[in-house]
Amino acid sequence: MKRKLSIFLSVLMLFSMLLAGCSGDKASGAGGDSKKVTLKFWTFWGSETRRPIIEKMVDDYNKSQDKVVVKHTFVPWGDIWTKNLAAVAAGNPADVVVTDINDVSHRAKNNQSTDLSKYFDDNFKNRFYPQLWDTVLYKGKAYGAPFNTDTRLLYYNKKAFKEAGLDPNKPPQTWAELEEYAKKLDVKKGSTYERIGFYPLWGGYGAPGWMRNADNGKGFIEGDKLAIDTPAKEDALTWLADWKKRYGKKTIESWDADFANGQTNPFVAEKVAMYVDTGTFYTQIRDSGKNLDFGVAPIPSYTDHTRHWSDGGGFVLEVPKGSKHPKEAADFIKYLTDVKAQKYWAVKNYDNVANKQAAESAAAEMSGMAKDVYQTSNENLKDTQLAPVPLNYPDYKSRIDPQIDAVMLGKKKSPEALKKAEEDVKKIKK
Amino acid sequence: MKMTGAPKLYQTMKFKRNVKNGFILLILLAGSAALLTPLWWMISTSLKSPEEIAQFPPTFIPEKFHFSNYIKAWSTGPFTRWALNSVFLAVVTTIGSVLINSLVAYGFAKLKFKGRNIWFVIVLATMLLPGFVTMVPQYMLFSKLGWVNTYLPLIVPSFLGSAFFIFLLRQFMMTIPNEFIEAAVMDGASHLRIWWHIMLPLTKPALITVAIFSFNGSWNDLLGPLLYLNDESMYTIQLGLQTFKGSVQTQWNYLMAMSVMILLPTVLIFFIFQRFFIEGSNLSSGTKG
Amino acid sequence: MQQQSARERLLHGINDRGTNVSGNSAAMNNQAVSKTHMKTKKAKSKTFKENLIGYGFISPWLIGFFFLTAGPLVFSLIVSFSDYNITSKMHFTGLDNYKRMFTADDLFWTSLWNTIYFVVFSVPLTTAGAIFVAVLLNTKIKGMKIFRTIYYLPAVLSGVAVYFLWMQLLSPGTGLVNLVLSWFGVDGPAWLFDPSWTKPALIIMKLWSVGGGMLLYLASLQGVPESLYEAADLDGANMFQKFFHITLPMITPIIFFDIITSTIGAFQVFQEAYVMSKDGDGGPAHSLLFYNLHMWNNAFEVFDMGYASAMAWILFIIIMILTLINLKFGKRWVHYEGGDNK
Repeated sequence: MKRKLSIFLSVLMLFSMLLAGCSGDKASGAGGDSKKVTLKFWTFWGSETRRPIIEKMVDDYNKSQDKVVVKHTFVPWGDIWTKNLAAVAAGNPADVVVTDINDVSHRAKNNQSTDLSKYFDDNFKNRFYPQLWDTVLYKGKAYGAPFNTDTRLLYYNKKAFKEAGLDPNKPPQTWAELEEYAKKLDVKKGSTYERIGFYPLWGGYGAPGWMRNADNGKGFIEGDKLAIDTPAKEDALTWLADWKKRYGKKTIESWDADFANGQTNPFVAEKVAMYVDTGTFYTQIRDSGKNLDFGVAPIPSYTDHTRHWSDGGGFVLEVPKGSKHPKEAADFIKYLTDVKAQKYWAVKNYDNVANKQAAESAAAEMSGMAKDVYQTSNENLKDTQLAPVPLNYPDYKSRIDPQIDAVMLGKKKSPEALKKAEEDVKKIKK
Repeated sequence: MKMTGAPKLYQTMKFKRNVKNGFILLILLAGSAALLTPLWWMISTSLKSPEEIAQFPPTFIPEKFHFSNYIKAWSTGPFTRWALNSVFLAVVTTIGSVLINSLVAYGFAKLKFKGRNIWFVIVLATMLLPGFVTMVPQYMLFSKLGWVNTYLPLIVPSFLGSAFFIFLLRQFMMTIPNEFIEAAVMDGASHLRIWWHIMLPLTKPALITVAIFSFNGSWNDLLGPLLYLNDESMYTIQLGLQTFKGSVQTQWNYLMAMSVMILLPTVLIFFIFQRFFIEGSNLSSGTKG
Repeated sequence: MQQQSARERLLHGINDRGTNVSGNSAAMNNQAVSKTHMKTKKAKSKTFKENLIGYGFISPWLIGFFFLTAGPLVFSLIVSFSDYNITSKMHFTGLDNYKRMFTADDLFWTSLWNTIYFVVFSVPLTTAGAIFVAVLLNTKIKGMKIFRTIYYLPAVLSGVAVYFLWMQLLSPGTGLVNLVLSWFGVDGPAWLFDPSWTKPALIIMKLWSVGGGMLLYLASLQGVPESLYEAADLDGANMFQKFFHITLPMITPIIFFDIITSTIGAFQVFQEAYVMSKDGDGGPAHSLLFYNLHMWNNAFEVFDMGYASAMAWILFIIIMILTLINLKFGKRWVHYEGGDNK
């Protein structure tokens, strides 16, 4: 019995090792041609719609030359960065990886990515929107290249505008107008709202965005200077809390909960008449099959004299530290950010791309609302600001968020909260 | 002497039992409703069209049943391959953890050796440190061994015991009277034989529990395969599921259809294996009573 | 007790002759020799054998511990005294991380408080809940198999579907929970939106998924001999008497296990809070910023793994103390049918 058992155990062990070993070997042998360099390329674009597009781009690149074979691997959204970090630490990372645009310099500072400036010529940066290029610089050197981006726009329901007696071709320009329009667009039955005109914190534009919009585009931390407790930001935060007061805590929280799962969107369901979201939100409206009559406009400005500041984000291509083929990787990045590939991505995915020329010619190829939205977002990029992680205060959000929460919950007044936030952030300087 | 009292006693007992059972049934039914709503929500979403999913207020029952979502979701990627990989990993790790953990637990529960109690505290201690801080060094270790992009980091640890299961099985084994072991020892049986012939059958419900837990653990594991597998052909079904979640949009109907399909084996295994609970009960109560 | 263990030792001595893990005949001969010769030598060789067998049985775990677990464990301890950032730098900084934790990081205290709150309420409630459900599911009624499967479901159902559903169930205005409360004239709280109700909301969610614990108790209930209940029936014991005098004592080893492991688990609560709070920022006014969430942010957002490791080791010490207390007091109330094995 004992022998039988031990034989069984060892066979099992052997079997599993063998199977595991085999698949491992096959993987490392996948490079095939020994003369060619194999580049590992990790993205989170694995969906039915995105995967064929990125793989076609990779395929085209593989066919266009005979020195490098790029192997694309899908790694789940969000988790891709955990994996990248572990791989960099162990010294066997991918060669090109898609990462968040807002912490490029943070990663560069911590030695997780490769300085690519020697592979890029002086002209290279001119293909991108300048504020996007700025995010990839750390101490004046480029640690990646922007790939795609986004920007927040105001979507408004034209049908609702007509019902409320507003001109559907005149979206609100300022915060004051926004408020005035919203009141007209509200539909209330008894004590419950059938339709809410506008609520600033729904959609893709959070409290930090509105506060920056008010403060002439100035973020919480500019370079090394803190600008958290400023009069404009205090005013903006009070303004946000007032919206919540007007609609009532219960109304806002209930709606928050009902739409939290992201399956149904309050604007698409015509429960909210005006809504801030990115350019790609258009696809969600398009795919809902509802033929919504809507328009897009830049985000209203704080006053007549300030600009229509908006928030943006996006993704960059990076070469993780420890990649064996940084030169080849940089060449591949050049290809992915060139007009042809970028335009293909923009049109096929309906996505805002970092290459300026590609973005413009993509818009030219579109028509109808698709074109409207795309063009508006292209133009909006000039007033769009990113929020790179400040190197000396990487954890700043954790000190500001609870203060904003306190104001929104009615537990603190805005000046007091922001003063505390600024003090707390000061303490965590690195 | 029993003849006269028996029918009446029997009647009242039966009556009491029926009332009690009816009451229990009622509680269980009410609880079931609460427990099944998320499942229903998953199933109904999995059968809807994307347009219907976007509707507000959400429909409770799909207007039209799109059973094809299941086939479509499955065909968006090499899901058959991924599912087979998952089955392989789950089966191998389950066998490993049932055998090895019960072996180690037997050592801690029924054998005497120097330093046993200290080692047992160390076993418990390995559970206390949050995984985040050991994740990266562990990855570096497996990387040094050349095990990255193989199944070894996912399989080998299950053959080397896990603190949770060792502790669990030890607790179960300590409820088994020592007389059984003593009697066997008298007969000249080795401890390996006692473990296999006496301990394993007596702890069947516990072993089934470990089997169910470790199967589910492996089947639902995302972080392990995510970190250690670099080749999509080696991916597991949980990694495959992630393809429906995107940075911009989530394919809810496919995500839910695949989630339901992933759930099925774990539920089925539980449903089938719980019959051993009853068998186990007969055995232990029979021998103990 | 002592007598029994002496007897046991005796039995082990006999046992050693027949038991031989390696199974080679030389050892057998040795034993035969020692048996016929000096008594002290016999005793020595006996304990040696016992140790050998004992270590033989736990050897898989020992191998795993020394080759896979110990290294990373020690590494994280060393790192906690440095400014390690995972990928490049690692300078020894002495006790700086620990000092900062206790004096300069107010979020450390926030997260510790949130976590202790969660542990204190969730552990007893889930333990009691799991026992209750297991006892109900152990009744012999037709269709119990299906009920057991249903009650087990939440243990395997996880991920987004469940969290989003809870968001809706706990919705302040339209959620089912507050609807039910309103039937009793209670004006339900805003749950996940109100900082003072987020943790209770999470505890309710935890309670909902007692399926895993239920399974443990269900398995251990199978070991309670039917004859004990029959005897109690004859004595005219009622349901509660039977539960408190028979069932509960018989399953104490598993209650003990459940309390220790769920305390460890509750101290490490992470996933729920990460999903329920936007971007894992810790929910409204940091009311869901749990210890592990704060640690995660430090490790993988700020890349301050040295600090995160220091946090991990403080948590280690806290749980270790609690576990040792549990082990100590466990001896008083845990009833092992197989003897105390000391």
